[in-house]
Amino acid sequence: MPIKVEITVNGAPTSAEVEPRTLLVHYLREYLGLTGTHVGCDTTQCGACVVHADGRSIKSCTALAAQMNGAKITTIEGLAATHPDAEGLHPLQAAFRDCHGLQCGFCTPGMIMSGSALLLENADPTDHEIRDWLEGNICRCTGYHNIVRAVKAAASAMREPKDPRPQETAA
Amino acid sequence: MGGYIGKPIPRVEDLRFVTGRGRYTDDIKVANACFACFARAPYAHALIHRIDVSAAAVAPGVIAVLTVDDYLADGHKGMSHVPVPADAVDAKLPAFKATPETPIFDAPHLPMVRDKVRHVGEAVAMILAETYAQARDAADLVVVDYEPLPAVVVTLDAMAEGAPQIWDGAPGNICFDQSFGDKDATDKAFEGAHLVLERTFVNSRIINCQMEPRSAIGVYDAKEDVYHLIAGSQGAVRQRVELAQSLGVPIDRTQVVCPDTGGGFGPRTTLYAEQLAVTWAAKRVGRPVKWTSDRSEAFLTDYQGRGMTTRAAMAFDKKGRILGMKTEVYGNIGGHTVSFVPVSNNYRVTTTTYAVPAATVRAVGVLTNTTPTAPFRGAGRPEAHYVIERLLDTAAKTLKIDRIEIRRRNLIPKSALPYRNALGLTYDSGDFHGNMKKSLERADWDGFPVRREASEAQGKLRGIAVANYVESPVGAPRERIVINVRMDGTVEIMAGTQSTGQGHETTFAQVVADHLSVDMKTIRLVTGDTRIISVGGGTHSDRSMRLGGTLLVEACADIVAQARVLAARAFERPESEIVFEDGMFTHPSTNRAYSIFEAAALDTQAMLTSAKEFSGRMPAYPTGCAVCELEIDPDTGVTQIVRYTSIDDVGQPINPLIVDGQVHGGIAQGVGQALMEDFQVDPATGQVLGGSFMDYGVPRADHFPHFDIDFTEDPTAGNPLRVKGGGESGITPATAVIINAVVDALSPYGIEHIDLPATPMKIWKTIDEARKAQKTPKANAAPTVEAA
Repeated sequence: MPIKVEITVNGAPTSAEVEPRTLLVHYLREYLGLTGTHVGCDTTQCGACVVHADGRSIKSCTALAAQMNGAKITTIEGLAATHPDAEGLHPLQAAFRDCHGLQCGFCTPGMIMSGSALLLENADPTDHEIRDWLEGNICRCTGYHNIVRAVKAAASAMREPKDPRPQETAA
Repeated sequence: MGGYIGKPIPRVEDLRFVTGRGRYTDDIKVANACFACFARAPYAHALIHRIDVSAAAVAPGVIAVLTVDDYLADGHKGMSHVPVPADAVDAKLPAFKATPETPIFDAPHLPMVRDKVRHVGEAVAMILAETYAQARDAADLVVVDYEPLPAVVVTLDAMAEGAPQIWDGAPGNICFDQSFGDKDATDKAFEGAHLVLERTFVNSRIINCQMEPRSAIGVYDAKEDVYHLIAGSQGAVRQRVELAQSLGVPIDRTQVVCPDTGGGFGPRTTLYAEQLAVTWAAKRVGRPVKWTSDRSEAFLTDYQGRGMTTRAAMAFDKKGRILGMKTEVYGNIGGHTVSFVPVSNNYRVTTTTYAVPAATVRAVGVLTNTTPTAPFRGAGRPEAHYVIERLLDTAAKTLKIDRIEIRRRNLIPKSALPYRNALGLTYDSGDFHGNMKKSLERADWDGFPVRREASEAQGKLRGIAVANYVESPVGAPRERIVINVRMDGTVEIMAGTQSTGQGHETTFAQVVADHLSVDMKTIRLVTGDTRIISVGGGTHSDRSMRLGGTLLVEACADIVAQARVLAARAFERPESEIVFEDGMFTHPSTNRAYSIFEAAALDTQAMLTSAKEFSGRMPAYPTGCAVCELEIDPDTGVTQIVRYTSIDDVGQPINPLIVDGQVHGGIAQGVGQALMEDFQVDPATGQVLGGSFMDYGVPRADHFPHFDIDFTEDPTAGNPLRVKGGGESGITPATAVIINAVVDALSPYGIEHIDLPATPMKIWKTIDEARKAQKTPKANAAPTVEAA
């Protein structure tokens, strides 16, 4: 029996009749065509599907669309609008590019959504805090080195928006 | 203009990836598509007597349930993966030659099981439904009458007398069994040896774990009678060849499009059963068919890496100089013959960077009831390095020679280049001694004792190790590049090879921008679509920039030459007097000047075009040296890598930012295999014991330190860009250097070896057993641990 859900996604109201078992990630991808949120596993391990729900990062493969009725969801497509830099990117998006924090790009939306949620809670995270926070996001390409560098660089850029250069992290 | 090569330029492709606009196969919606799910075999080895699809066929939303009988009835064949690659030295020859004494077994790989299941997870039926959920629900309704057979999964067990036989045409489960090297010289070298070490090394089975689960969309164009496949892979051209061959149609009746691909690493080179099945089914049901793997399926069906067992013997003189080496290499091929590349790569680099005067290799491919194996990053080379570097550390200890010193005594000196190794590869360049020196200095090797003491004071064991490496880039020996320069100010590169995350849109543009003296922004790269690309080998084996880059340089030179002719005509001057400088064609007699685009406008087609193709081998030998330093908590067995240093001679890095990333990623995958990754199956039944990210240890961010890497270059003259390759640099020495460092850390307990992967449990058990066997630790004793 389909049920109706109403979810605000990237600032816009959306609604659909969905099967009760529809996951939030499938709602975003299949109903709204927001394919930036990826499915990388089926055990809530990889984090490719991370979005923000009411300001906190969640794995959208482990939330039913029905559970999210009434929630405000931000996806990778809507992240920049929450904190645009001069280029119209979120500083963490720009930092991922500038620090080469991605290769194949598949884990990247989840990494950025997860990392940006960290920066909402902690404006100046240490390497250790970043690595600890990102433990639930798997990347097979980068070895995480440049991802950590990107989060540091974005944190710095968001604290001091005038100096967006990537900063080296201590070994 | 110019000066792009060598600059750490952020990638041009990244804007779409960081904003969620990457376009992977599963992101593509095709009108009127139905969805496929596969019913899969739960046994590793079983006969199928009957498949009953009647209940599934009438389940809600189901359009069709298809089996291999339907596929064969349509006149199609099994996939031929061409598992024997071209030889590393002479690409016209096969790496393994079939003779009456040394036959080679290769069987067609059907997209679904016909009569006999050969590994857990093989597809037995394909359910097509209106939604994926409906197809999946119906897959559970397929009833199969299996007769389970005894299974064999361990390589050497499969060769044993009386082992279950997996294929009729492969007695003893042997695919190939061939020997290389100078046997007489090697036997003689062993006769005079002071020390002969014999060890067996098992290189564990690795799951590819690319983050994008495989996905495929089949579309049949009835009007044109053309099959279309949309699927991420490491090369559309090869996929197309295998697809056409399997369907039994001329190649021009197939087209393959490869959109953004979420990681390659080797196993996505050859065609997969599901890609073939959706393409066929699209014609059969008259609708586009889409399938996307879930992660559990990926663990069962993505071609797997490593799985190599090596019996090695090494002969030394009193001073630790290597006299000879003998290995027997057993590659676990799995249940289908997909690729013999890891074994062929492995044997050629058996002696790696060391001057081993004589060596032999027996190379054997063994069928087992496991998922087929394929090249995984490094593909046989990390396995070879693991063997020789472990043996060197063991010999150093036995002969009481310093670990650095024994390497110094055996590394190939620069003066010996070009050096033909005992298995026939000729290294043209590489400063092996210099690499090690730089790496040791950078890692502060000499300061290690102080750091070890500091760790001991905290109850930790600390270890350090060094490993040298040389890569042998091989791969598909054919590539093609087309460059079009248009009068509208745009340059188009069409490349046979394609990226799975290596940033070709950036690096190829850097090369062309420099060679045509144009702005990088004018350049666009087109790849991964066989409607445009006809020839090319795809991304693997460090080949894209080596082969593709060389062709880019040649095509640019050709275009400049064409433009020069046009400019000369416009200036009414001889070509030889036309100057091409700072992007402009000029002549001293006039102040007129033409850019390459303005020159293109002079052409009758308003476009300059050049197509360059290469067939054969273009060798280059990436080399370097890694140092790993780690700490082990003896109470938990947990290893933390605290420093990882690497000096890499990748040749000229076209984009150091990207090459850095390649090295980081390679190291990380090596750390994974060394410390946590191991695809476990029950040796008795072949049942998969770790089939998800819940129980397979893929490394996370908190497993790593920052990596300390730097480049060096001893130039190769083998290609105009001096490219050697960086994709496999990180991983090649990684398992060797990490396990050697673990063994070094555990040495106070008298521990001499630990198998891959050195998981906390394995380390803890090894320490526990050693403690029991040896009540009091030796000198350089392990600290007594007190509560911190």
